[in-house]
Amino acid sequence: MMSLKGRVMETLLSGGFICKTSDELAFQFLQNHEHLAEVERQLNTMNRTLASANDGNLYFCAYQTIDTDERKQLSVQFRDIASSLLPLAEWLVLVQETRGDNAPLTEGKVIRLAELQSVIEDTPAFVEQLAKIARYSLFNSTSSAVDAQLKQIFKRLVETGYLLRPNPDNQIYLATGKIDYLFDVIRFIDESENLGLEQQAELAIKQGDLL
Amino acid sequence: MSSQLERAGFTLLRALSKHADIVMQAYLSGHINDLEYDSNVIEKLIELGVLWRPEPGEDLRLRSTVRALLENSLRDERNRQLDTNIGTKLAAIKTVTNHYKESLHHKAYGDAEVYLEDLAEQVYTLVDSLKSSVRNLWRRIHNEFGYVASISAKIRENELAQSQLTQMRQQLEMFQFDELSKLAGSSRELRRLLVVQLQRSHSEISQELSLAQAKLIDLLGKFREYLHRSQLLKGFVLHQQQKPDYKVKDYSEQAKIPGLFNQAKAIMQPASIDVNNVEHELVYVDLVAHLKQVRHNQSLNQKLRQGQEFSLEDIESIDIESDGLKEAVESYFCQVIDSGQPMSALEYHRQLSLDFDREVWVYGVINGFGGLNQDEQEFFEIGMEGHPHPTFDGNFIIEDVELGLR
Repeated sequence: MMSLKGRVMETLLSGGFICKTSDELAFQFLQNHEHLAEVERQLNTMNRTLASANDGNLYFCAYQTIDTDERKQLSVQFRDIASSLLPLAEWLVLVQETRGDNAPLTEGKVIRLAELQSVIEDTPAFVEQLAKIARYSLFNSTSSAVDAQLKQIFKRLVETGYLLRPNPDNQIYLATGKIDYLFDVIRFIDESENLGLEQQAELAIKQGDLL
Repeated sequence: MSSQLERAGFTLLRALSKHADIVMQAYLSGHINDLEYDSNVIEKLIELGVLWRPEPGEDLRLRSTVRALLENSLRDERNRQLDTNIGTKLAAIKTVTNHYKESLHHKAYGDAEVYLEDLAEQVYTLVDSLKSSVRNLWRRIHNEFGYVASISAKIRENELAQSQLTQMRQQLEMFQFDELSKLAGSSRELRRLLVVQLQRSHSEISQELSLAQAKLIDLLGKFREYLHRSQLLKGFVLHQQQKPDYKVKDYSEQAKIPGLFNQAKAIMQPASIDVNNVEHELVYVDLVAHLKQVRHNQSLNQKLRQGQEFSLEDIESIDIESDGLKEAVESYFCQVIDSGQPMSALEYHRQLSLDFDREVWVYGVINGFGGLNQDEQEFFEIGMEGHPHPTFDGNFIIEDVELGLR
């Protein structure tokens, strides 16, 4: 049997994110200063360090020092993130609009596929939006049916770690901390490029140009 | 006086229960159209002060006291009225206390008792209204203002609750216990009501209120964060739509890569099997047992996959070759019909010296008879000749059959 520390190390070294929703025990383990220092020490031997996002609610593994090789790797990864930002953002907007309360998805929130589907199917604009999102290479759905598009999107989101499906028998999903990471990324881009995204949204809402 | 009050109360309560449908309809939809109901009933409810008409020509509405009663008893979360009018209630309490003291002074003990009862009622009402206000606040906090949909509305509701709470706290400051205790003087009953009871509730409620306030501020922060995020997202999508050539700057090229984008490559790969490890043997055996060896016969497959020719023609008629036994059985039946005499199957076999096995022949005849349809079977009579099995009773060994006409 692997110890909890082993599990934490394995998740971190295989590029995974640790949050309360994805693995509560592992997350609690890292809350302990001694354990944290121990994991950090072991990661340091491999030029890695523990990094956190979303106000310390999410852990992942980062490089300790960045050299040419690491930079190359990070550049590949960045392109990945950047290309998946728009599809994910559009999907998140779709989800928050279908929920009706305008509350964005955050870690630990539940999405019921059947509910989402029925709302989308009732609203032609959502069907269109969904079709657009499903065609992005991130999701890569070729189907024209709402049902199949949604299933494909959710499958991909589970694969990429944004969602969790606690019980494979039903279509109920949990959002993981990686969703919050996404917000962090968008916020970072907004701040460092001075895009004024929020003001744009507000302006658009005022002008009645709702998405 | 009191019996009259009692009767009026009964009338009111009975009317409420009898016309519960109208009351609930008015409660749920906010108003009712008096044309839909019996005008006498409506008239009576108006007279009892259950319904009222705000403006001529408007629909009827529930009186606020009835509404408040329902909201309180049903724990309806839409109820957002907080009774913050503590000042007047305190003034009433002080007044009644003075009445009580005066009547004691004049040795009017009967009056004093009534006043004390009234005072107790006033104090408990005040405490109850404070407590229900707190409960009401908490109920709204617990379901995070679930009765309004959008985040902005939730923020507004939260602000309303906060202002109500602040007001309540201000009103609570009006409790001046030194004054109250001076008012109570040395009377045990008065001290119990005015000092002990009120003080305990006061501290309880103040504590609850500060907890609620902290929670409300917390919630407000959460809602603001939601709003912020939701606008951030929409803004991002909008930005991309409006500027299709916009590309996120490549942060990995910066001298100092931001922490968010510093994600180490996955270096863990699945470990390999150690076949020399005895402990793992069981697992390997199981794995090997589940291996499926699939051998495809590729050449055959190829051939099968290719389209095959077929022709669309009428199906040729099929001849079933009649076998000798069947023909012989048929001619035996004909013989019986022609002669009109019963005849044993074996006898026919001997006469024509057929070359079937005797047993097969007898079976053939029985089958032939069984193969006829019901009407045809009725022409013939078949008799079995044989003997019971010597050892196993219930078994009958047929040696011969005799066929005749009925």
